Amino acid sequence: MSTPPIHVFEPKTVIGIAEMAVSTREGDVLVTYALGSCLGIAIYDPVAKVGGLMHAMLPDSSIDPQKAALYPAMFIDSGLPQLFRAAYTLKAQKERLLVYAAGGAQIMDSQQFFNIGKRNYEAFSNLLIRNDLQIEAEQIGGLVNRTISLNISTGEVRLKVSGQPNEVTLCKS
Amino acid sequence: MQELDEHINKVKHLPPTPRILPELLSLLNKPNIDNTRVVSLIGIDPSLTANVLQLCNSAYFASSSTTCDLQEAVTRLGFQTIYRMVAAVSGAKALSAPQKGYGIDGGELWKHSVTAAVAAQLVAKRSGDDENLVFTAYLLHDIGKIILSGALENIYATLIQQTQANQQCLLEAEKKLLGVQHAEIGGRLLARWKFPPNIVAAVWFHHSPANANPHQRLASYIYVGNMIAHFMGHGYGHQAFAMKGRAESLEILDISADLLPHFMIETFEQLQVIETLFHLSG
Repeated sequence: MSTPPIHVFEPKTVIGIAEMAVSTREGDVLVTYALGSCLGIAIYDPVAKVGGLMHAMLPDSSIDPQKAALYPAMFIDSGLPQLFRAAYTLKAQKERLLVYAAGGAQIMDSQQFFNIGKRNYEAFSNLLIRNDLQIEAEQIGGLVNRTISLNISTGEVRLKVSGQPNEVTLCKS
Repeated sequence: MQELDEHINKVKHLPPTPRILPELLSLLNKPNIDNTRVVSLIGIDPSLTANVLQLCNSAYFASSSTTCDLQEAVTRLGFQTIYRMVAAVSGAKALSAPQKGYGIDGGELWKHSVTAAVAAQLVAKRSGDDENLVFTAYLLHDIGKIILSGALENIYATLIQQTQANQQCLLEAEKKLLGVQHAEIGGRLLARWKFPPNIVAAVWFHHSPANANPHQRLASYIYVGNMIAHFMGHGYGHQAFAMKGRAESLEILDISADLLPHFMIETFEQLQVIETLFHLSG
């Protein structure tokens, strides 16, 4: 007699648009869906087993500081520093933090009027350079919608691309 | 032209016609709106009536007491709100099925349409244009995909390959592989359903609004709303971003590209309404 299949359900914490979360809880999976031109940014400290995930919509908070105060993760420049600080409170250390990114899709727009995706990624990479940080792995741009998840126990970062049946691993820690 | 009609005729499961929308929309434009006529039009369809009342009593719209009377709902919420509810309910019915040919899961086309409709409506509100017209045109803008999805199902691998390899937009790839594209066939279907010429033109040219003469403004609202919905992740399916940038849509509406992020923020703030409408498809 064959063994019946066992389904393993991971507990998932869904991060909505303009939201962020950090976790150190064993077995937790942080996930954010349907990035579009938004940027999904994951950070992970493999020693402290602390991770965070953010779903940022726009590059620059100066267009609406009031919204940035209400929803820091709406903007790259207001959200990213908060994401790092939140991870530090859970004993993550800057030099150990691995940084991952996905999203920033772009339409076919040679005149660059509709280039939010590209501007999100530029704001993100400029901020990393200024803070002496590097990207561990990324999947950026292109014509597709993406979902990104981070497993807090293992540090594994997975990607699901809209219209493709299977998830892919962006990085195994 | 005849070929396009044959495409429509070949489809076995067309969505139920949102047939009362054109008549409701024309009532809306009259100076004295006849509530009785509105109530009797909606009342023809019992499931539509039930859905409107359900929405009327939902957390977002509900006042202190609930109602199970359509006349009361119309009086309480006003015809404008009721109209959008009817449009939303009809849209949900037509658009909720999965469309495998495009890699679209159940409910996704509907979610995209609602998000984009709300975004386009916000843009129209700023310019003082008819929000209800924009909202209606928007809900139905991708209805042509329902017709083409079946034909694409067997060749979508080719479609993806073509968009990737040639940097070809989805619309061009459809035209090349099938001889028709979804915007045109959607416009044709709405004309058959007797929607007004402005909505027909706006849907037909929602990927090339400059060609929608004399309805370029309406088509441009649809184009810009579509962009905003895609940016915010409410695009869908294979190669969702395989669309051409049409800067002329901004010129036609006389808005700057710098305003797009602000419209995204406003749309974000309307997500609660959007979420309420999503549940219609369930």
